[in-house]
Amino acid sequence: MQRRVSYIYAAPVPALLGGLLMAASQLMIVLVAPVEERMGLIQKIFYLHLPLAWWGLFSFFMVFVCSLLYLLRRDFFWDALSEAAAACGLLLAVLALATGSIWARISWNTWWTWDPRLTTTLVLCFIYAGFLLIRRMDMTPERRGGVSAALGIIAFLDVPLVFFSARLWPQTIHPQVVTQGQGGGLDPSMRLTLICCLISFGFLWAALLTLRFRLGRLEEVLNARLLVQEPETAGNHPQNNEEKNNG
Amino acid sequence: MLLRLDKVAKFYGRKIIFKGVSLELEAGRILLLCGANGAGKSTLLKIMAGLIRPDAGRAAHTLTTNGRLGYMGHQTFIYPAMNALENLRFWAGMHGLEYRASDLAALLQRVNLLPFAAEKAGAFSRGMAQRLNLARILLLEPELLLLDEPATGMDAPSRAMLEAEIIAAAARGAGIVWISHSLEADLPRAHQAALLEGGRLAFLGSATDYARLLTGAGA
Amino acid sequence: MIRAALLMARKDLLLLCARGAGLAQALLLGLLLLFIFSLARGIAEEFSAQAASAVFWMATLFCQVLIFNALYALEEDNGQRQALLMLPVPEQSIWAGKGLAGMVILLAAQGVFIPATVVFLDQDIQGGLLGGLRLILTADLGLAAAGSLLGALAQGRAARESLLSVIIFPLLLPLLLAAIRLGAEAISGAGLEEAENWFRLLLVFDGLFLAAGLALFGFIYNAQE
Repeated sequence: MQRRVSYIYAAPVPALLGGLLMAASQLMIVLVAPVEERMGLIQKIFYLHLPLAWWGLFSFFMVFVCSLLYLLRRDFFWDALSEAAAACGLLLAVLALATGSIWARISWNTWWTWDPRLTTTLVLCFIYAGFLLIRRMDMTPERRGGVSAALGIIAFLDVPLVFFSARLWPQTIHPQVVTQGQGGGLDPSMRLTLICCLISFGFLWAALLTLRFRLGRLEEVLNARLLVQEPETAGNHPQNNEEKNNG
Repeated sequence: MLLRLDKVAKFYGRKIIFKGVSLELEAGRILLLCGANGAGKSTLLKIMAGLIRPDAGRAAHTLTTNGRLGYMGHQTFIYPAMNALENLRFWAGMHGLEYRASDLAALLQRVNLLPFAAEKAGAFSRGMAQRLNLARILLLEPELLLLDEPATGMDAPSRAMLEAEIIAAAARGAGIVWISHSLEADLPRAHQAALLEGGRLAFLGSATDYARLLTGAGA
Repeated sequence: MIRAALLMARKDLLLLCARGAGLAQALLLGLLLLFIFSLARGIAEEFSAQAASAVFWMATLFCQVLIFNALYALEEDNGQRQALLMLPVPEQSIWAGKGLAGMVILLAAQGVFIPATVVFLDQDIQGGLLGGLRLILTADLGLAAAGSLLGALAQGRAARESLLSVIIFPLLLPLLLAAIRLGAEAISGAGLEEAENWFRLLLVFDGLFLAAGLALFGFIYNAQE
């Protein structure tokens, strides 16, 4: 409850590593990875698309885990972490959709197609955007924690159903689209580039997450400070409350 | 022991409202809970009622029958679209209590609302709604009464009726925690007093000691 | 718990019908949707069974959001929610009671929407009665379980209908897809190859939200503001 906000030094490490690795992996995308025969140059967007999608989905999984932990421990640490994970996940998932859409436009001549994976990712974006909106409602921190943890759990359990329903839905164009890019026979240099990209995006993700997490924790502290001036909950001993806040 | 709080603390996010609050209440005793606006009295009462959970410490009550807890908060808990009798009947049903119509009428008579039994509660004044709220609580034959400024909006006769009911409930063996905004008038009726100040329990003792403390400070 | 839930449902139905405004708003919005979508059809064009089914379930969904918002708003006039939470019954009976009341109203609303679909969208219902009934009951069970759980977000009037629908619609997508496909089958009468799979999906959805309601309702609906 009264943990200090001392995560300030946490973000630069993954950010620095992520930046360096990102530069390296960009070079690898240009210099090492070969141009794919059938799809041509546009296929290289895949090296951005896949890490974005994977880390985005991992973020959403993290929201689920943090939600469970919050309900078990009732510690706002997990609450703030789940918000940070949802925000980062939303950002990455939207970028994954955007890169995928550009790729689809060039190689299959359509911006959007009814594919289970695309649909599920889009619905995930909607769900977690709603999750972040609900958190902005006027609630006590305790209720916000409970509500968003419950939503985080429901959302994650709903995902398989969304995926299956999207797969059952009659598909008119391009069934098995995405598997083409990552099917079994990946060229070794392609695989190396992909792994490098995955790792560098992982660090980028970690840096974003830490920054967003710290922001949430600072917001908590700030809200506590602001509350002291509010007559309803603050009482008539502001100096006393101030003192305890630091403890 | 009817009600026991053990080192109870409550936060709002990172802000402390109060901490280290320990007190005990025995059956048949009236505890007057005092403190300035915003000291956290209402929050403490909600913790006693089990409405919100403390962030630290324990709050427990030992009622012989589950549900025999009467809580009067800032709001009246009245459905404005139902009449007084329907309101009582609904709450009795939800508590699993069997009441005849004549019992409910007698209850309304007790809080001087019988002439308005068939009127929509939405048309009631604050004082009348509060009396209906009192009737809803009396319905439960509570063993523990938690009253948050119950006299709000009541006129002088109603207030006298309320105080008589409180004293009668204590005489029947109910434990009562009472937040009152007319301290001088109600302190003599209480057995114990507690003062919530500066995020902690600044005073806990007999009501007469607290009255002496107050007059001493005033002099 | 069951007794309390039934009492709760009875009280809610009486209050909603007495107040009328919330109920009428939900019905009117659904009917308006059906009417407006009928404009999507070009002159001398046919409205496919699937399109009609989609519009019907959209109307149902909007209606559902309004219904559950109204049901939970009933407890906010004078803080009745707090008294409900102090009852000697588990809080899930509130969820069950409101879900039941909502399902009854939803079924009644669909009783209006079905003829409206036939009239405005020019449909000829060929499917069997039993299949249609099975679809509506299984789908409405899921809608009621999810609606009653997420409708509790409206506690303290924090979430307005618009915000509620933003949360609830993406989560309901599996149910919506299944209901649209099976609804198209019920209208056209043409057999659907994966009908049983869709039904299984509906049942899993119902199970998920019934379980979520039982397990998580207390975190969404409580005495906090």
